[in-house]
Amino acid sequence: MAQPPPPSRTASVGPPNVGGMGAPPASTPGGPGQNSQQNLNQIVLEYLNKKGYNRTEAMLRKESLNVDPNGIPVIGKVADSGGKKWSPSFRLVKNWIEHGLDIYKAELVRLEWPVFVYAFLECVCECFYDEAQAFFNEYKGDFEEERGQELQQLARISLPEHVQENKLAKTYREHQYAVALSSMANATLVEFLEARERDGGSVISTILQNHIKIVPMNRATTARGLQKLMEEKEVENKRGVMWQGEGIPGHYPGSANTDPNASSALSKLALAAMPMDPDLMEDVRADLGQEDSLHPPAPGQNSLVDQFEQNIKQEPQDDAAPNRDAIPFPPSTARDVAMEVQKVRENRDRFRIEGRTGGVGPGLSVTMFTFHNTFDSVNCIEFSGDHTLAAIGTAESYIRVWSLDNRALASPHDPPGFQASSSRRLIGHSGPVYGLSFSPSAAVPEPATNGYTTGASSPDSQPRYMLSCSADSTIRLWSLDTWTNLVVYRSHNSPVWDVRFSPQGHYFVSCSADRTARLWSTPQIAPLRLFVGHDSDVETIAWHPNGAYIFTGSGVGDKTLRVWSVTRGEQVRIFTGHTGNITAVACAPNGHVVASADDKGEIMLWDLRTGQRTKTLKGHGRGGIWSLDWSVESSVLVSGGADKTVRVWDVQPNKETQAKANGESGGGAKIDGSSVGGGGGGAVSKTGGKTKGPVVSPDQISCFQTKKSPVYKVRFTQMNLVMAGGAYLELA
Amino acid sequence: MSVWNPENVTDVAESIGIASLNREVVEHLSRDVEYRISEVLTEALKFMRHAKRTTLTTQDVSQALRLLDVEPLYGYDSTRPLRFGEASIGPGQPLFYVEDEEVDFEKLINAPLPKVPREISFTAHWLAVEGVQPSIPQNPISTQSNAELATRGPGANSTLAALSGNDNQGVKPPVKHVLSKELQLYFDRVAPAIMDETNEDYRTAAFASLKTDTGIHQLVPYFVQFVANKVTHNLKSTFILLQSMQLVAALLENPSLYMAPYVPSIVPSVLTCLIGKNLGSPSDMADDVHFALRDFSASLLSSIARRYGPTSSTLKPRIARSCLSNLLDSNKPVGTHYGAVLGLTFIAGAAGVRSLLVPNLKAYDAHLQRILFDNSTGLRRPEAEFVVRALMRALEVLEQDAVAGMQNGHPEGQALRERLVEAIGEVMGAAVFESGRQGLANAVLEKDLAV
Repeated sequence: MAQPPPPSRTASVGPPNVGGMGAPPASTPGGPGQNSQQNLNQIVLEYLNKKGYNRTEAMLRKESLNVDPNGIPVIGKVADSGGKKWSPSFRLVKNWIEHGLDIYKAELVRLEWPVFVYAFLECVCECFYDEAQAFFNEYKGDFEEERGQELQQLARISLPEHVQENKLAKTYREHQYAVALSSMANATLVEFLEARERDGGSVISTILQNHIKIVPMNRATTARGLQKLMEEKEVENKRGVMWQGEGIPGHYPGSANTDPNASSALSKLALAAMPMDPDLMEDVRADLGQEDSLHPPAPGQNSLVDQFEQNIKQEPQDDAAPNRDAIPFPPSTARDVAMEVQKVRENRDRFRIEGRTGGVGPGLSVTMFTFHNTFDSVNCIEFSGDHTLAAIGTAESYIRVWSLDNRALASPHDPPGFQASSSRRLIGHSGPVYGLSFSPSAAVPEPATNGYTTGASSPDSQPRYMLSCSADSTIRLWSLDTWTNLVVYRSHNSPVWDVRFSPQGHYFVSCSADRTARLWSTPQIAPLRLFVGHDSDVETIAWHPNGAYIFTGSGVGDKTLRVWSVTRGEQVRIFTGHTGNITAVACAPNGHVVASADDKGEIMLWDLRTGQRTKTLKGHGRGGIWSLDWSVESSVLVSGGADKTVRVWDVQPNKETQAKANGESGGGAKIDGSSVGGGGGGAVSKTGGKTKGPVVSPDQISCFQTKKSPVYKVRFTQMNLVMAGGAYLELA
Repeated sequence: MSVWNPENVTDVAESIGIASLNREVVEHLSRDVEYRISEVLTEALKFMRHAKRTTLTTQDVSQALRLLDVEPLYGYDSTRPLRFGEASIGPGQPLFYVEDEEVDFEKLINAPLPKVPREISFTAHWLAVEGVQPSIPQNPISTQSNAELATRGPGANSTLAALSGNDNQGVKPPVKHVLSKELQLYFDRVAPAIMDETNEDYRTAAFASLKTDTGIHQLVPYFVQFVANKVTHNLKSTFILLQSMQLVAALLENPSLYMAPYVPSIVPSVLTCLIGKNLGSPSDMADDVHFALRDFSASLLSSIARRYGPTSSTLKPRIARSCLSNLLDSNKPVGTHYGAVLGLTFIAGAAGVRSLLVPNLKAYDAHLQRILFDNSTGLRRPEAEFVVRALMRALEVLEQDAVAGMQNGHPEGQALRERLVEAIGEVMGAAVFESGRQGLANAVLEKDLAV
C-alpha cells in the first residue's frame, strides 16, 4: 500500500496538509504572543474546575480547540473550509485510488467522475464561484477523453441558477449515479473515508451517500470482470472499463429495470420473426410454385418454394415470436404477395456472405452514389427498397427525389404536355429536413413479355409513400404516385430528428429533441405510443426486424441505447457504454444483435437476449458514424461516416480471433492469462505505444475511402450489395 | 472569472440608461451571459450534427435560438461559413469581426443577376468490387493512407492486407496482385490466338471460351485495354479490327460477366470501328471490306445501347451526338457517313431517325449529290451507293413505326415525288419514290406534316 498509514481517529494531532491549525493547549508550547489568551483560558478552566462545573469545563476545552491563539476560530476539518473543501477532499480520494491496489483501482477509478461532477455542482450551488472554477479546471484534464462533451456543458455552469436550469446538471442532481463496486473495494473505500474524515473524507462520504448509488458486484462476476479489466486496461485507457450498468439510469446491466428490489433476471423478448399471415403465406407459396414452373431453377439452385420453406423454418424454437394479433396490420394485397415472392427470389440469388473463413473476410462490392453541387446543404440520403429511387432531405426545407434508373417521375396531376423529368422536389416543410424513410418495397421485375425481360423493375414495385421529418416539429407523409403531401403529423414539440417506417409498413416511429420517441400508424394523426425515458434528445431510431421492438439512441447527458416494446410501450433493455452521442442504430436481420455507433467513432454490438455488450469496434475517425447496416445473413456489418470511409466489420464474437492472435504471436506470454496472475504484462509491452492516431480494431474486414465525400447512408440490398450515399464537398 | 468581459455588460447597461451598476451585479450578469451563450452553442452543435456537417453555420444558431424559445437573430443568414477579420485594439487584444464589404447600391442594382448555382446531381461509381477498391478517378488514389486504415496489432490479418495490396505499399496498383498465374496464362494464350490470322481453329476456340467461361471476370479490364490498344494502333488492318470487335461481342455475350462498368471504355473503340476515317489499307478500300466491319460494329453498338442504356443515362445521347456530328461533317469520307447513319438508325430508333436524321437529310443531300454525280473520281460512286442504301434502311425503320391509315389525301405521282424531294432532298427523294412504296413515302412525309 502506497498510502501513508492512516492516523487514528482519536489522535489530536492535525494532519500535515492542514497547516497552522490550533493544537490542544497541553501539547503545544505556547509562543510569546499567545500568553494572554492561554492564561485567560487557564484561569477560567481553573475556576470552573474549582466550582465543579465539569460539563461546562469540558465544553470549553472542546470549543477552544477550534480557536487559534488570536481568538480566531481555526478550521479543524476540511469539511468546514467552505468552497475550498472540495479540492483537497477530491485530491485525497484521487491519490488514494491511484496509489491503491491495482485490483481495486479499475473499479474505484470509475468513482472519480461522478464524485467530480457532484462536487463541482455542490460547489456552484453554495455560491463559491471562483473555487468551483478552480476546482473544475484543476481536475477536468483527467476526464477530457471520455467525457469531453459533458465537460463542455458543465464548464459553463457558474451560478446556482444555472445548476437549476442546465439539463445535464438537472439530470445528475435528480438521479443517482450508479457505480458497481465489489464488496471488498467498497469496504476499503469506506474504511479509508472514515479514517481520513477530517481531511475531507467526510465531504466525499456525503457525496457518496447523497448522489451515488453503489451497486454491489458479486465475487464471481468480479473475478471474471477483473481478468477482463486487466487485459483491456492497457489497451483501452487509464480510466478503467465502464461497467455496463454505470451511469444515471441505474438499471441492471442490459435490463431496463431500475427498481433496486427487483430481481436481476432479464425480461424475455420475443425476437423471432413475425409469423406470416396464413392467407398471405398460401398466396406466396402458390405464386412461387408458378414461378418455379416457368423458370426452373438452375442446377445447384434451390427452387423458390424450397427456399421459402427454408426461410420460414429457419427460426430456432427457443425464441418466441411476437403475437400477430398484438400488432394489427391491414389485410395483405396482391402487391404484398409480389413483394414477398421477390424477397424470396432475391434471397435465393444473393451473394452469400458466410463471415470470415480462413481469416479472410468476404469481398463486398460497394456502389457509391455521390451527390454534387450540394454546398453541404444535404442533411440525409435515403434509398428505396427496390433501388429505383434516391431521396435527399436538405437544409433548405425541401426534399428531392431522383429515379436511379433515369425513369421519368410522372404524376397523374401533371398538366398535359408536361415533360416529367427524372427528379422531383417535394416542398412543404418549413425547417431543415433531418430524416426520410420510404415505405417498404421490393424490386418486382416486370412480367416477362414474349420471353424478353427488360431487367428494369415494374412501376408497381416503387414504394408508394415516403415519410419526412423536420426541424419544424412535423412529420409529413408524401405520396410517391402524385408527388404531393398527404398527411402532416403534429405532436412533437421540438425538432424531429429521425423517422422510420416499420419493416412491415403501416406503422412508423419518430424521435425528437423533446426527449421522446413516438409510434404512429399512417392513417391516424395522433401518436399511438409515447416512449418516454431518455434524459436527453432521442437522436436516432431503428426497428427490430419483426416490428415488435424499437431501438432509440440518445445524445449527451444520457448516451444510452434503449429498447422498447411496441405493444406495451415500455423499456425492456437499457444499454450504456457509449462515450459520445449515439448517431446510428441498426438491428441485425436475425433479430439477436443490435449495433449502435457514436460520434467518437466507436461501434458497439449488444446481445439482446443476454443484455450484454459483445463487441466494441473501433476505427472510424471522430465526427460521427452516420449509418449502419447488416448483411442479410447478419454476419457482416457495414458503416459509413463523416471520416469519408465505408468500413466493413466482422461481427462474430471475439473468442476465435483472440485465440488466433495468440497463436500468431508465437506463443510467448498468454494474453488472456487464465493461469498467470500478471498475464497483462506481456500484452502491455506488445501493444503499448505502438499505435498512433485512431486505433483500428482487428475486426475490421476492409475500409474504403471516398473522395472528399462524407458517407451519409449505407445500405445492404437483399442480394448483399452495399449501396452508399454521400455528398461531395469541394471545400472539405 | 468569466471569459465574457464584464465591461461589456457595463457598456450595455449604460446604453440603456443605467449609469452605475454594482460590480457584483456586473460579474453575476457576465457569468450568466456566458452561460446563455454556451447553451445556445450546445444546441447549435446539435443542429450541425443532425445536418451531418462539420462546420457550424448561422442557421444552426438561429435554429438553436428557436428551440430555446428565443427570437432568432435576423439578417445573418449565410450559406457559406463567415469570414472573420482580425483587428488589434491594443497589445494582445485582438478583435474579431465579420468581414462585411461595403456595396454600392447603385452598382448592385445595375449588376447583372448572379449565375444560377448548378443543380444538385448524382453520379454512381464502384467504391469497391468484391472487396477491392478499383483505381478509377472517382476513388481517391492513396497507397499510403490505405495502410493507415488497415487493421493493426495482433489479430490483423496479413492475407487481407495482401488482397487489398497493402503488404508492400506503392509498388503496383492493387488490382494486379489479385490476378492469379492461371489467369495470366489464360490471357497470354487467348489474346494472340484471337489475332492469329493463320489458324481459324484457334480463333473459334478462343471465342467460344470467352463466350462461356465463368471465371474470367478479373480479366475483363485487361481485355478491354487490349481491344483499345489494338484498335488505336491497327486502323490499317480490317482483320485485326474485326477480330477486336468480335472479342468485345464475345465478352458481352458471356452471361457470367458483368460488363456495365466497362461500357464507357468499350464504346470509344467500337465507335472508332463504326465511323473511323480510314479503316483498312487502301487496297481494302476498293473491295468494301470496311463496310462489313462498320455493319458489325453498328450492330454491336446497338446491342450495347439496348442492354446498358437504361443504367447509363448519358450513353445513348452521347453516341447519337457523335454520330450526327460526323454525318454532318462533309469533309469526312463516305465510309464515316455510312457508319454514322447506321449508328443513328440502330441507337436512336424510329424516333431518333425522325428527329435527328430526317431534318438534316436535305442538307446532306447536296453533299451526296456531289459525290454521286461527280464523275471525276469514279471510285467513290459505289461507296455513295452504300450510304444511300443505309439511309433507305433508316427510312424503312420509320415506315415500320409509322401509324397506318394515313394514306388518303396524299398527292400521287409527280407531285409526291416533288414533295419527297422537298422534304429529304433530290437523291433520297428519288430513291424513296422509285422504291414505289407508298407506306415508306407516307412515313417520311408524315413527319413533314407533323412539323
